[in-house]
Amino acid sequence: MSLLALAPMLAVLLTGTAALLVRGWPRLQRGVSVLGTLGYAGAVGSLCWQVVSGGAVVYQVGGWRAPFGITLVADALSAFMLALTAIVAVYAVVFSVRFIDDRNQRVYYHPMFQFLLLGATGALLTGDLFNLFVWFEVMLMASYVFVAFYGNAQHTAAAVRYVVLNIIGGVLMLLGIGGLYATTGTLNMADMARVLADPGGVTGAVVGLSALIFVTFALKAGLVPFQFWVPSAYRAAPLPVVAVFAGATKKVGIYAIIRLYFTVFGNADLSVAVPGADAGSSIGFLAPVLVLMGVASILVGGLGAVTRDSLDELFAYSSIGQIGFIAVPIGIAAASTGSLRHLGVLAALVFAFHHAVTKGLLFLSTGVIRDAVGTTRLSRLGGLADSSPAFASVMLVGGLSLVGIPPLAGFFGKLFVFDAASRRFAVAAAGTETTAGAAAILLVLVVGAVLTILYSTRAWMGAFWGGQTEAVVRGRIDPVEVALLSTFAAVVLASGVGFEPIVQFADAAADAALDTDGYVDLVLGGERS
Amino acid sequence: MTTVITRTTARIVVPIILVVAVSLFLQGHSLPGGGFIGGVLTVAAFTLVYVAYNLDYLEAGVLDREVDYDRHIGQHRTVAAYRRLFVFGLAVVVGSAVAGLFVGSPFLAQTYTYVHLPLFGEIELASAVVFDLGIYCVVVGGLLTIFSVVGAE
Repeated sequence: MSLLALAPMLAVLLTGTAALLVRGWPRLQRGVSVLGTLGYAGAVGSLCWQVVSGGAVVYQVGGWRAPFGITLVADALSAFMLALTAIVAVYAVVFSVRFIDDRNQRVYYHPMFQFLLLGATGALLTGDLFNLFVWFEVMLMASYVFVAFYGNAQHTAAAVRYVVLNIIGGVLMLLGIGGLYATTGTLNMADMARVLADPGGVTGAVVGLSALIFVTFALKAGLVPFQFWVPSAYRAAPLPVVAVFAGATKKVGIYAIIRLYFTVFGNADLSVAVPGADAGSSIGFLAPVLVLMGVASILVGGLGAVTRDSLDELFAYSSIGQIGFIAVPIGIAAASTGSLRHLGVLAALVFAFHHAVTKGLLFLSTGVIRDAVGTTRLSRLGGLADSSPAFASVMLVGGLSLVGIPPLAGFFGKLFVFDAASRRFAVAAAGTETTAGAAAILLVLVVGAVLTILYSTRAWMGAFWGGQTEAVVRGRIDPVEVALLSTFAAVVLASGVGFEPIVQFADAAADAALDTDGYVDLVLGGERS
Repeated sequence: MTTVITRTTARIVVPIILVVAVSLFLQGHSLPGGGFIGGVLTVAAFTLVYVAYNLDYLEAGVLDREVDYDRHIGQHRTVAAYRRLFVFGLAVVVGSAVAGLFVGSPFLAQTYTYVHLPLFGEIELASAVVFDLGIYCVVVGGLLTIFSVVGAE
């Protein structure tokens, strides 16, 4: 059974290598890439089924037992993140076959896509802190290529900025991991959790060292003040890959924050006095940082999106804002204990799921527009609804889900985030604390939601309503792409209508994220596999 | 850089570097070394040849083949060979990692055995060498592709 934990990683690794081997036959390569990604989705699906019905699985790579070898851990949290990665990846790769022109598909597009996926999958599955760094680098190497993919001055400039920033991030992460290794004596996350839970152990330095790693995670997630690479990189990369960037790889940063702070540090007695943090929570120091970054992201992303002219830039800023909506409940969870902490993580995961499918759909829809009209500038778009009512409704589903209209996926995402924020307010009001902070969070969330309505409306109306511009009249919308995206829109709709299983899965994932003892038992207690 | 001093130095140093690279590669599974560091050293030797002579010296001078100067460097036969080496290496790495699964061992599992050869005595045969060979090919192929293409610009 434990082989299931390896299966998703093996699927992309084999697909990526096979895609390189059949490079001389472009049609075969496309077939391999699409089939391999479907196989990946199948592997993720059966892993999720196993995790939900039979419990988490562990795989000891090379037969070396934890904590000495590298362990792959597929618990509900990993499986949940893998599931949303797989959904976005399948649509992105099929869309690429249609969207990216033939010559560009031949230049290592498909192998690189698989290696991007491999990096994300490895980061989600690994149970080893240094191995996490390695998978981050694998993911980054592939994304460097994609940001520079089209090779013009603008793309190269974006790529250089992206590379420099991420190298600095990588160095900080390496320093932090080295420091954690020096203080705790282990790199295995479960073993580290065990060492830290030991009363009287070394803990003071851990907080500072973990902050170095946190910077890299926040950089990957694109939280303010590390958001500035997002718009230029998203504008430069091919749009199907941007769907994966926004839908999956950004979430890896969020996943890493949850895994490191909640699972690994969950039982540690990290008593660091930070103003504004609840003294009762062991990781309370994280709360003000994450909430501030999240709140700033919501405002910067929302305001940025409202003012942008081109659709891809608008959605790039929107991504920054939406990541803020994920960071705020995590911050609330860090400040609280018990059921509110659980609710915070649950809200973040549900929102991450919603954002992955919705933003994936929207970026791919932007691809359809770019393909048909040749531009995504709102000033040169208009009246697309007359050209293709079907496509207009596909993008309407995406826009409405982003806004949070029931019964779409986005509604539940927002519902849980507001639920967590208002309960935090209630807790603050019931206790002796001041309620100003919790009230401010709620206020910013409302402002963020209003901004989302503003820019979604602006994007949809600007592109689809009004008179047809000259560019739109000349352009032709590809019906195959629209047909593909309408099934994606159906997924967004279905995940809102049939929300119960998703929330149960997210609930199990939040349980797994907070269950440090269970995680330690799972990795260190199991017999040799 | 193509002075007499550089060329003479390269002539002496390149074989030494290559021998050290091979020995690092072969001992890598039980001592410091391995496919990566062996590969990087090999690349250093090739790069020294490139710097001391020129990018086409390997093809025209060593292999004694015609060089088509009109084509983009990415299409030169040596660079195409580097690319193939890279893909071959990756296939070897993945193949050797997966191989264990077929005999019931975990992914990436390695094993070793001792054989007795006349003259040499006990020799350790490790399956990790295959994995290392793959890494060696990936490193040499990948880095040399980058160096030749970027060097030509």
